[in-house]
Amino acid sequence: MTGRLTIQDYETRGAGRSLRLATSAETAASSPAVRAMSVHKVLDDRPILRDLTFDLPAGCYATLLGANGAGKTTLLRLLSTLTTPTRGELEIFGRSARKQGAMIRAGIGLIGHQSMVYRDLSALENLIFFGRLHDLPEPSVRAMDLLEFVGLVDRAHDPVKTFSRGMVQRVSIARALLHEPRLLLADEPFAGLDAPSADTVERLMAQLNEQGMAVILANHDVRQSLRLAERVIVLRKGRLVLDVPSGDVSAEDVLAEIDKR
Amino acid sequence: MNRAIRHIALLTLKDLRIEARGRQTIGLVVVLAILIVVVLALGLGPGSGSSGLSATAILWVAYLFGGVLIFEKTMAVERYDDALAGLLLAPIDRGSIFAAKLLANLVLMFTLALVVTPVGIMFFQFDLSVAPGGFALVMAISMIGYAAIGTLFAALTSSTRLAGGLLAMLVFPVTLPVVLVSTRVLANLFEHNVSIGGSGLAILIAFDVMFLTASWLVFEIVLEA
Repeated sequence: MTGRLTIQDYETRGAGRSLRLATSAETAASSPAVRAMSVHKVLDDRPILRDLTFDLPAGCYATLLGANGAGKTTLLRLLSTLTTPTRGELEIFGRSARKQGAMIRAGIGLIGHQSMVYRDLSALENLIFFGRLHDLPEPSVRAMDLLEFVGLVDRAHDPVKTFSRGMVQRVSIARALLHEPRLLLADEPFAGLDAPSADTVERLMAQLNEQGMAVILANHDVRQSLRLAERVIVLRKGRLVLDVPSGDVSAEDVLAEIDKR
Repeated sequence: MNRAIRHIALLTLKDLRIEARGRQTIGLVVVLAILIVVVLALGLGPGSGSSGLSATAILWVAYLFGGVLIFEKTMAVERYDDALAGLLLAPIDRGSIFAAKLLANLVLMFTLALVVTPVGIMFFQFDLSVAPGGFALVMAISMIGYAAIGTLFAALTSSTRLAGGLLAMLVFPVTLPVVLVSTRVLANLFEHNVSIGGSGLAILIAFDVMFLTASWLVFEIVLEA
């Protein structure tokens, strides 16, 4: 536990290889990660999402692109069951988001704009607290494993408020992974990060996807998104305007689609 | 049931741990409440609060303002960095979040009362020794109802810009019946030696049941709004 462990150290020494991140067998054999059927969302009498219909297979890495206000964050909040569709049906791994929210939440990890952790508690205290809420059998062991995974084990006992933005984001990732989610939702996880921190987060997410976790990444950087994800979904004014494999489209095409009036 | 109790204990201890670490809420609240008592004591003159009615009314002013700050601060902890979303993503009953927040608020309110009441007694030469148990019981029951409503409205207003001011505007009118009944019950106890076991206490308990039930039921909707 001494010295700063990074993701590179983690990979080199093979530590934590027993760390369970995504249930790949379950994931592969199950229903689509997401099935949206004519999903509408209205907030304050304003339509935010309109008639969204799409499927995302289990274990896929999809990116959600669009201008500010296109509805990316609202869609992620719907997928995380923090809010429900105004109309239409949304299924996560075959369960209705409207009726089985609690069961769905047990299989979802969300990384938001904000860290969703308590800044006055240490990284370890935060993870143990959220682990206990998820009824993990050994929350402190799981918390330390995840802190090692995100390269923060040497800062485990420091309050989150003393962390840099990049470190806070890594705590946020560890929190999202505590309960071995099958679907990771990331809402602009690179925002405000310096290049090395963004690179670390990018690699962590790729590694999670390789292990069978479905990842949906809302992002502003089109080129980065095309490089990372296998599927591209573009929203414009709440409507789905593009849904293609990332290899079938260029960054220029995506940018043109985002900017269309 | 055991699972819900465990979650409530976890959430309450988390709030109290954060408060114990920073002491940002209780320190501020105690100072404000003592200032209120001192200003009223100086304004009204010595002995002005020696009657049961005026003494409890003055203490209620301190508890009300202190309470609003407590409710606001404990809910702000959840809004900061959107920690509340982390809670809402956990597979726990939303009612557990309300119960835990209420318990944490009550611990802080009782701590406030423990510090401020002796100050009030000292300044107003109020003779609490006549019925200390009755005073504590009536205040405790009243504070449960106040904290239930305060916890609910703090969740409602914490995401708005007005937060504290709006919270006071919403909570004070709703809590007014509790304050009126409890001051009347205590006035009767201290001035006329009337037992607290009458209809006054029953009304306070009825308010508690009503406020707790309504807040419990509405809290989930408020959190997800």
